[in-house]
Amino acid sequence: MNETRPKPQRWAAFANNYGMVLVLLILIAAFSVLTLERQSSTGADAGRVVARDIVNAHGSSSTVVVVAGLKPPDESFLREATDALEAAGVTVAATVGGRPADARRAIERVLQEGHSIDAIAATGDAARWSIYDRFESVGNSRCVSAAPTLWPTFAKSENILNVANQTAIYAIIAIGMTMVIITAGIDLSVGSLVALSAVAAAVFIRDAGDGTETGAGLMIVGCCVGMGICALGGVFNGVMITRLGIPPFITTLAMMLMARGLARRLSDELSIQALPASFTWIGGAATFGIPNPVFLMVVLYGVAHVVMSRTVFGRYAYAVGGNAEAARLSGVPVKRVIVVVYTLCGALAGLGGIVQSSKLGSGDPKLGLMFELDVIAAVVVGGTSLMGGEGRIFGTLIGAFIIAVIKNGMNLMKVGAPEQQIVLGAVVLLAVLVDTLKRRGTAH
Amino acid sequence: MSMDTQTRLAIVLISALLVSGCGDNSQVSNSTGSGPATSDNSAPATGESKGLIGYTTMSLTNPFFKVIGDSMTEEAAKHGYEVIVVSGDDDVNKQSNQIDDFIVKGVSAIVLTPCDPRSIGQAIKKANDKGIPVFTNDTGYDGDEGLVECHIATDNLQGGRLAGEAMVKLLGESGGTVLVVHKPDASSCLLRVQGFTELVDAHNAKDGSAKIEVVATLDGKGSREAGYAVTKDSIVSNPNLSAIFAINDPSALGARSALEEAGKQDQVTIIGFDGEKAGKEAILKGTILCDPIQFPDQMGKTTIEMILKYFDGDDVPKEILIPSKMYYKADAEKDPALQSG
Repeated sequence: MNETRPKPQRWAAFANNYGMVLVLLILIAAFSVLTLERQSSTGADAGRVVARDIVNAHGSSSTVVVVAGLKPPDESFLREATDALEAAGVTVAATVGGRPADARRAIERVLQEGHSIDAIAATGDAARWSIYDRFESVGNSRCVSAAPTLWPTFAKSENILNVANQTAIYAIIAIGMTMVIITAGIDLSVGSLVALSAVAAAVFIRDAGDGTETGAGLMIVGCCVGMGICALGGVFNGVMITRLGIPPFITTLAMMLMARGLARRLSDELSIQALPASFTWIGGAATFGIPNPVFLMVVLYGVAHVVMSRTVFGRYAYAVGGNAEAARLSGVPVKRVIVVVYTLCGALAGLGGIVQSSKLGSGDPKLGLMFELDVIAAVVVGGTSLMGGEGRIFGTLIGAFIIAVIKNGMNLMKVGAPEQQIVLGAVVLLAVLVDTLKRRGTAH
Repeated sequence: MSMDTQTRLAIVLISALLVSGCGDNSQVSNSTGSGPATSDNSAPATGESKGLIGYTTMSLTNPFFKVIGDSMTEEAAKHGYEVIVVSGDDDVNKQSNQIDDFIVKGVSAIVLTPCDPRSIGQAIKKANDKGIPVFTNDTGYDGDEGLVECHIATDNLQGGRLAGEAMVKLLGESGGTVLVVHKPDASSCLLRVQGFTELVDAHNAKDGSAKIEVVATLDGKGSREAGYAVTKDSIVSNPNLSAIFAINDPSALGARSALEEAGKQDQVTIIGFDGEKAGKEAILKGTILCDPIQFPDQMGKTTIEMILKYFDGDDVPKEILIPSKMYYKADAEKDPALQSG
């Protein structure tokens, strides 16, 4: 029914993708509006505002304590507020960035030294601490902080990066799943392979390396061992499906059980911690402020897109999914294509496991629970047909982000977990409905 | 292609509807979250809400954690704080993501019951880096990457000793054989069994005492199913078993089912742990002899008290242990919580 895509249709495919992007953009806009909230004031600007307000209210002969917490922008608040106050001639008796107990001690000391405190310059958060009322001569009313700014919590750069970072693991695994589903297959074992890879790599680093002292070289070998085992799991899946004719659903269901069991066995059911601190680099660190898993995701999607749209292998994969018999008759090595696709899927799940365990700093046999469902959902929402032969790699990326954005937006809006499941179920259903309607449309 | 455009349009509209639909719901329940911006430059120091506290628990399907969450919400509300309760569903990755979300939401403090005491370190460290204080309750964090301000839990060692004391009272004169239904991967359960063993060993060390022998310690995984399975196996190899100590109520109830099936419920006495509703009901019926009980409501309340203390500028202790109490049938008969049923 669906043959390999001739060139002129690529624009149509682009338009199709564009629709999904539009859905994503609308979701982002909607959640931005819905999460418009007052953000507690801090940072350099807030510091200057507070200093100005204090000088206006108390004059330049006053004594002030500057208080902030431990958030990263609190440092610049302290610096700016202190500088601006001192420039205006105000006595800054103490500048504290720390826990409430630290601020309390600082105020105690200032009062003991015989100062009277006219005002406390505080960040929004520090102004809400209840330490000031402990001192009769101070009191919460002497706290001055800048007005909170109105800004969508969803659209904070921190949150956008979070969403990208949290999606990256699913999205990476979803590349392999997209290929499998394009060949009209399914792989239920990816979640368990995540755990197996994480545990195998951690066990290798602990036992073959020197635990927390392991060097980069052995660590990379360990990661390759984890991924390699998962790739072998994929080979096993592919061989069972092609040589013995066991349906993918059953083969990979069996693999899901076996891989999880193996992960639990290897780890003695305990998470493995004996990993060097640098192990967290790939999953937990950021380069130029962007989390490393996001970079990895972008690169892999670029490669996968080229493979699926520009190479013989990609065309074969679509052909196998469209009509395996026709593909075989026209000389496509159907069995080999299927084995390769499941192997890639296993290896990518293994990579997902490495990234995940790196992010958490431990090899945990409980990782990846239910990942298969999230990943399949991302592929389906991304427009890949479960009937095979149709789908785009970038569609899956958009699909993964649509799901992640909906989840994150609902979390930020404090929608409960049960309601979230209902909404996500509805989204997947909608996506399949679109697929079905499209199918009916092309059938006429 | 025209069909495509139409259906895409449909999905856009329906998604938008869905999204705006749930938006309305949550804004009704969340009146303190967002409001109009104040136009004056300096905000009042005291607002209607003093801040948010994010609590991610191990599993909300276990009533024990539900009680902790509810009592935290209740206690925090009295002091002007709002608590967001979410469940990690035993998935440390999910819990780690929830901590990310808490950080973005700008919560004042994070409370967690780790899904995995060791794998949660990086997530705690992330909160530390953002200057947000982290508290744990029930299950502690086991590692050194992250910093926890205070851990609030049941005194499991003392609770285990209470169970041991009850066992000595039960078998001290006659002696007997005991099965321990354990959950060795939970630090809290290790302490319970340690306390239990201490008391039993002390009894056995006394001259001329009738010995209490622990014939097997098996992993009941803290669940009804596994508790049932290990007990079933154990009574085959130890037909003269006299008593069982199970580290929580579900596994104690599972053990009871196995005994009933084998017709040994009169021969073998069970001591459980926890005092959750089903356990207390079993004590009332006499199917479990007694439980050292925990106080999840107190645990939640104490957690909030420690957070308030922290914001008051007091030095917070690293650990607070809430003593457990022995609960027998006589206590169950007086328990108002069991009157209705």
